[in-house]
Amino acid sequence: MSLLGIFNIAGSGMGAESQRLSAVASNIANANSAVGPGGEPYRAREVVFQAVAAGGGEAPSSVGMAGVKVAAIVESDAPLKQVYDPGSSFADANGYVKMPNVNNVDEMVNMLSAQQDYQADLEAFNVAKTLALRTLQI
Amino acid sequence: MIGSLDNGLEFYRQVLAVRGYRQEVLAADIANASTPGFKAVDVDFAQALAIATGGAGRPRALLVAEPGQMQAGNTSANAAAAGAVKYQIGTQVSLDGNSVDLDLEKTTAAANAVDYEAVATFTTQALKLLSIAINGSSALGGGG
Repeated sequence: MSLLGIFNIAGSGMGAESQRLSAVASNIANANSAVGPGGEPYRAREVVFQAVAAGGGEAPSSVGMAGVKVAAIVESDAPLKQVYDPGSSFADANGYVKMPNVNNVDEMVNMLSAQQDYQADLEAFNVAKTLALRTLQI
Repeated sequence: MIGSLDNGLEFYRQVLAVRGYRQEVLAADIANASTPGFKAVDVDFAQALAIATGGAGRPRALLVAEPGQMQAGNTSANAAAAGAVKYQIGTQVSLDGNSVDLDLEKTTAAANAVDYEAVATFTTQALKLLSIAINGSSALGGGG
């Protein structure tokens, strides 16, 4: 029953997009965290999406018919921001403090994109639900 | 005899299955709208239906000694649709290699959903006609 497969696919999409949204929230919240868990400044997190074959299909084709999963969460290797703040206890010999490499513009764009994709997934989910219910009425 | 009754419904079943499969493919495109390297696909509906209903690519019917013997079923509509999955061309490929156009996918999925509902309605009507043929005009709900 292919319509029911849509629930898995759209569901996987919604899960992945909400993880992406979590990463964005974490990055924005920590945009000024000079010290992370390891003593180093916080580094921006990015989620990596990967297409996975959707299970349960009768005849999985080589193309298409794929859900999505978060393959990895990587830390951005962009250079850390240097802020001149000699009074800080984290300042180096020259008075500079290393601050997180979070780029607010990137995060905003990522957030909008994640929101749009999530809504699209939700729409696909709802359409599948409508069609499945309509099928029951035949 | 039952076979001749539900023969007419077989076509609707195939169309519904192909439409459902196409909806799933489009949902997969939407789910992967941000996956790097993912290429958008779609089901060539005409080709899928042709395969499912006995056009090109359909396996030959089995030879049976007796008319009552089981005949191999039609090509599974899902398998037929899977054979007609093609890459979408002409959409813009973004820097990360993704070729999903979200607006196009949404509108295509909406149109396909309407088509699915239409076929479901046709099927309901066909069943009603059968019911009228069996029960007489009382099935219409009017005075019998």
